[in-house]
Amino acid sequence: MNIVLDNVVKKFKRGKGLRKHYITACDHVSFTIEQGELFGLLGPNGAGKTTLVRCIATLLIPDEGKITIFGKDIIYQSMEARQQIGLLTSGERTLYWKLTGKDNLKFFAALYGLAGKERDKRIDYLMELLDLKDVESERVEKYSSGMKQKISLARALLHDPKILLLDEPTLGLDPQFSRFIRGFIKDELVGKGGKTVLLTTHYMDEADELCERIAFINKGKIVNIKSPAEYKDEIPHTEVLELRCQGNVNEEKLRTALSSIKSVEKVSLINKENDLALKVIASRVESILSDVIELVRGEAKILAIDVKEPTLEDVFIYLTGTSLKEDTREEQPDALE
Amino acid sequence: MYKKINHYLRAIWAENIKEWKIELTYKADFVRGMIDPLVYVLPYLLYGIALVGGRTSESLEKLTGTGDLITFVTLGYIFIGFLNMALWAMGFSLRKEQYWGTLESVFAAPVPRWVYALGMAAHSTMHQGLMISLQLIVISIVFKLSVNMGGIVPSLGVVGVMLIALYGLGMMIASLTLIFKQGWLISEALSSLIMIITPIAYPLAVLPVFMQKAAMALPTTYGILTVRHFLIGEKMGFSVGTSFLRLAILCVLWVVFGLIVFAFIDKRTRRSGTLAHY
Ligand SMILES: Nc1ncnc2c1ncn2[C@@H]1O[C@H](COP(=O)(O)OP(=O)(O)OP(=O)(O)O)[C@@H](O)[C@H]1O
Ligand SMILES: [Mg+2]
Repeated sequence: MNIVLDNVVKKFKRGKGLRKHYITACDHVSFTIEQGELFGLLGPNGAGKTTLVRCIATLLIPDEGKITIFGKDIIYQSMEARQQIGLLTSGERTLYWKLTGKDNLKFFAALYGLAGKERDKRIDYLMELLDLKDVESERVEKYSSGMKQKISLARALLHDPKILLLDEPTLGLDPQFSRFIRGFIKDELVGKGGKTVLLTTHYMDEADELCERIAFINKGKIVNIKSPAEYKDEIPHTEVLELRCQGNVNEEKLRTALSSIKSVEKVSLINKENDLALKVIASRVESILSDVIELVRGEAKILAIDVKEPTLEDVFIYLTGTSLKEDTREEQPDALE
Repeated sequence: MYKKINHYLRAIWAENIKEWKIELTYKADFVRGMIDPLVYVLPYLLYGIALVGGRTSESLEKLTGTGDLITFVTLGYIFIGFLNMALWAMGFSLRKEQYWGTLESVFAAPVPRWVYALGMAAHSTMHQGLMISLQLIVISIVFKLSVNMGGIVPSLGVVGVMLIALYGLGMMIASLTLIFKQGWLISEALSSLIMIITPIAYPLAVLPVFMQKAAMALPTTYGILTVRHFLIGEKMGFSVGTSFLRLAILCVLWVVFGLIVFAFIDKRTRRSGTLAHY
């Protein structure tokens, strides 16, 4: 056993005075990641993925529960735990933009106890591996997002950690870099390196392509843990009706109306500035098609209709009633008082 | 054990080097940082000369035992540099990293927090040491400072102990900036307060009594008085031994206090989850 989470709870305080309340970012989360496993955390914005990663990385102290890494408690043996972890946080600004790629790595290498020839060899090796040799003497501010992500990955690998925590590693990257990073994680880190990887994402194809097991996380709770294939078996004999529409609709009303159609299993509805994406999961789409169109037509203009086999995302909707593309975050907190 | 010490020492050194490299990418700011202090102090000195009608003052002589106004003020003035270092350079080091977004990456590494603090301290000392040497050289060339050469080594000793105490203060401020948006107000307030009651450009005796008492709780006071005592024979009103002793006590108090506040706030931010925010 490599990473063990046991009933982890993390709440954040929001607001002041009368408006003060707590939001539960992680709600009694338990799971175990085995050595050499590529484990995914899949959930929409605000599901609590980053919070979990921060807890494991010793950057947050959970309110309840226990996390151990190779048996080391992340609170009481945080130094030992950190030595085993390579962390890739989401966001671009985790490196010193004014320093060159190489100087960044040298600095972090020292923090992880590397020095001298060993350090230089390791940095050279990683630069080579991630195809960064040409830009190693350029300041990070000149890098593209993809290159910044690669150098962050190199940083996470400096001390050759056994565990990698990768928080949305391909977020905002163009397809070419995304493909590179995904391939790197699968072939290099897990395949050749035998690393244990915890990867968070809200891209279902990423989770589907990479992960051996995926934990669905929604509103801080782990909904289910299965392999991608097992998930797809969750909803056999179902189809997904997708509609793209335009118009201002009353979401709640439409959702209720659609849900009450016979043999409709789940409805997901994402409304962004008059742009409406609708998914209806049903056992047989054919039989509900006319009802759905009837209902929607009264509210909005239908632009496209499609019938599909369920994907991982549809299973997520089926199990949680939430789409991965939704934003379930609470309003962003005021950081400092 | 040996390996761990080695690791931490390297981390401290790397922090120092990193700071230099970042500072040197802002070349114009760096040069200005070196020149500005001179621009501030020179008018002071000239004003003093104009007022007194020469560089020696009888009343200063009566109060302190040394009449050389220029040397007196210059030696006091360099302590503003040390103070600024603790209050601003060190005090804002964590906030700066928080703003850059690098604080989490740094804090995820297997090094205790005090190692970063020491790294910042090492950098600040070198940076400030360089600046102060430069100022001293320029001022001595312009005004021909005359100091007792034998006092230089003990003076460095005093400054060393005082710096440790100031780092305690710096650490405390550094951690406070992580939870207060207006953290700079604390630095601003402390800086004004300390500048007024520390006898930088005037002898302690001209301050009202309650301020003199307050000055006795500040390491900068002992730093300035003792250094001037060693270098130009200022009368302190207490012995060198007493000065060192009090300085040492203040040093322990401030450092322990700084560490406690730092540890407390570190824990607090890890509970509240505000480390990554700016
Ligand atoms: N430091 C914090 N203080 C207050 N609330 C927070 C903090 N960090 C996260 N939250 C809240 O906790 C919930 C979970 O956030 P988290 O960042 O863990 O989600 P996520 O799954 O990583 O989402 P995203 O896709 O946006 O990264 C959100 O509602 C978020 O606003
Ligand atoms: Mg996140």
